[in-house]
Amino acid sequence: MNPKRVLAVARKTLRSLKHDRRTAGFLVLMPLFMITIFGYTFGGSIEDVSVYVVNLDAGDANSSASEAVLDGLLAGDVLKIEGVYVPGAPGADHAALVGEAVSEVEAGDAWAAIVFWGNFTENVVQSVEDIGSVPTSGPGTVTIYIDASNTNIAQAITNEVRLTVQETVVSEYHVLPPIAVAEDRVYGEGAEFIDFFAPGVMGLAAMMVTFMLSIISFVHERTTGTLDRLLATPVTEGEIVAGYALALGLVGLVQSIVILVTAVALFQVQIVGSPLLVLLLIFVLGAGNQGLGFLLSSIAKNEFQAVQFMPLILFPSILLAGVFWPLEAVPELLRPVSYFVPLTYAVEGCRSVMIRGWGLEEVWLQVAVLVAFALAMLLLSTLSLRKRR
Amino acid sequence: MRKAEKGEDGSGDGGRAVETNGLRKEFGELVAVSGLDLSMPKGILYGMIGPNGSGKTTAIKMLVGRLRPTGGTARVLGEAVPIVERVADIGYMPQEMAIYTDLTVSENLQLFGSLYSMEPGEYSRREASLLSMVDLEGRRDSLVSQLSGGMKHRVSLACTMVHDPEVLFLDEPTVGVDPELRAGFWQHFADLKARGRTVIITTHYMDEAVRCDLVGMMRQGRMIAEGAPRRLMEDTSTSNLEDAFLEYSRRDAR
Repeated sequence: MNPKRVLAVARKTLRSLKHDRRTAGFLVLMPLFMITIFGYTFGGSIEDVSVYVVNLDAGDANSSASEAVLDGLLAGDVLKIEGVYVPGAPGADHAALVGEAVSEVEAGDAWAAIVFWGNFTENVVQSVEDIGSVPTSGPGTVTIYIDASNTNIAQAITNEVRLTVQETVVSEYHVLPPIAVAEDRVYGEGAEFIDFFAPGVMGLAAMMVTFMLSIISFVHERTTGTLDRLLATPVTEGEIVAGYALALGLVGLVQSIVILVTAVALFQVQIVGSPLLVLLLIFVLGAGNQGLGFLLSSIAKNEFQAVQFMPLILFPSILLAGVFWPLEAVPELLRPVSYFVPLTYAVEGCRSVMIRGWGLEEVWLQVAVLVAFALAMLLLSTLSLRKRR
Repeated sequence: MRKAEKGEDGSGDGGRAVETNGLRKEFGELVAVSGLDLSMPKGILYGMIGPNGSGKTTAIKMLVGRLRPTGGTARVLGEAVPIVERVADIGYMPQEMAIYTDLTVSENLQLFGSLYSMEPGEYSRREASLLSMVDLEGRRDSLVSQLSGGMKHRVSLACTMVHDPEVLFLDEPTVGVDPELRAGFWQHFADLKARGRTVIITTHYMDEAVRCDLVGMMRQGRMIAEGAPRRLMEDTSTSNLEDAFLEYSRRDAR
């Protein structure tokens, strides 16, 4: 393999991109766009969820436990309390009030109706007095009639109510729960969801673009006859493939830098480990996907057919490689497939380096798998070119 | 095959530019080239003529090593194809334009220059003379996609000549080229020959092949006649190569 000829092919590939301003711009803007959109949508917490409250609690002479919880809920950002139903006169129809609030949920105007039952304060006070002896009453009960069609929102509501109840018990009744769970983070101190998925988006962007550029370029090379012409020169099949891998690997690298810089500047994503190691992982992934694109370009007869391979490669990667959710969330039946998706290793590797601060000695497996993938793809590409003669 | 007597070939300058023996190529059922025997001396203009589908392009692709022959042998500059040793002495202009339209003229030339391991200094000296040869001096930094069809053809020809090869295979270099430009192209070919190069040209514009030293007529994958244009016309008592070809086809079909 002659390095000068490899470089000549790589230079030619990059020059084509340079002249095609729109594509070149797209290559930089696409990852920027991706990380910004993903960052703002997934990075934020859930706020202003519409709920109704039904407060049937009669309270007692000195206090009202339900009012205390309600104050807590009002002070938080998660819930937006659209209205509070209270019985107008003693002996009012409680069931009707609850029904009215629930109908708001049924109509889709609110996500939940939070109901404090009639003897709420009484039960709370009694339970506090009973601490240490046999309980003489049930606990004060809050029932949440919830629309769980969106599980994220349902979970946020439940969590908010639970937390507020706990805080109220501590602040109003000075009762500490006897058992506390303490968390001490081994890795990921201060990490948020965006820290988790930024490495995933990086791998995804690099993979998408190198694959797309590769398959389209090679279909073009084949249909215009330039590939034939190249191969009539002293350049070898391996040199052409290596030149392309080098050029497209670099494109993936530039994209990753854009994503890294954006993620750090806009979303304060942390990079505990070496950014260079992250870029190495992405470069190897890009080179491998270039080979995959090349192989599939021999099946596609034109650019239109080539584009149709995109979803075929993209969907398994997005869904199975642990980009937005962990591999543990992938159904057990499909999980073995995840280990055949190269992106899985890039994402896992980048994540470990960026959040855990791991070095090459810890992520060597991911690096090795990606290098093996890249070498296999480049070798197969070269062989497929030779066979065409 | 009926061979007209050869005139000025066999100059005996040691070695042939192209020599084939029973060269054959099949694509499944289809026999594209069946038993082609060629023997071209160096330093001539050779015209391979015949209608579309007569096997000219397939023959050229085998000679430049882009297709593996199904049978027979082929030698270019004394080396069996696919040539590895002397590939740098060969220039190939495919039938399709086959240049990078998203690169500039100069970048195309540079790419092929570096693939032939030309040093930067050597290349830049060569570039100026190449551009003037194909009359594209003012277009050095233009993107090929912005050039006219004729200019693209000239870029393609320049890419073939960048490393100043000894033997040039030009597959239909004049197809879709306007008459004025075509005349210019033939002048280039004559110049190349004058500089001792061997130029093998395929064309289905049979009449223009009259400028060649030697013409081979292809029909259905076979050579039906070969010789100097004048002799081919005399032999068939015709006044142009197209009529001569038709006469040979008639005789061949009998």
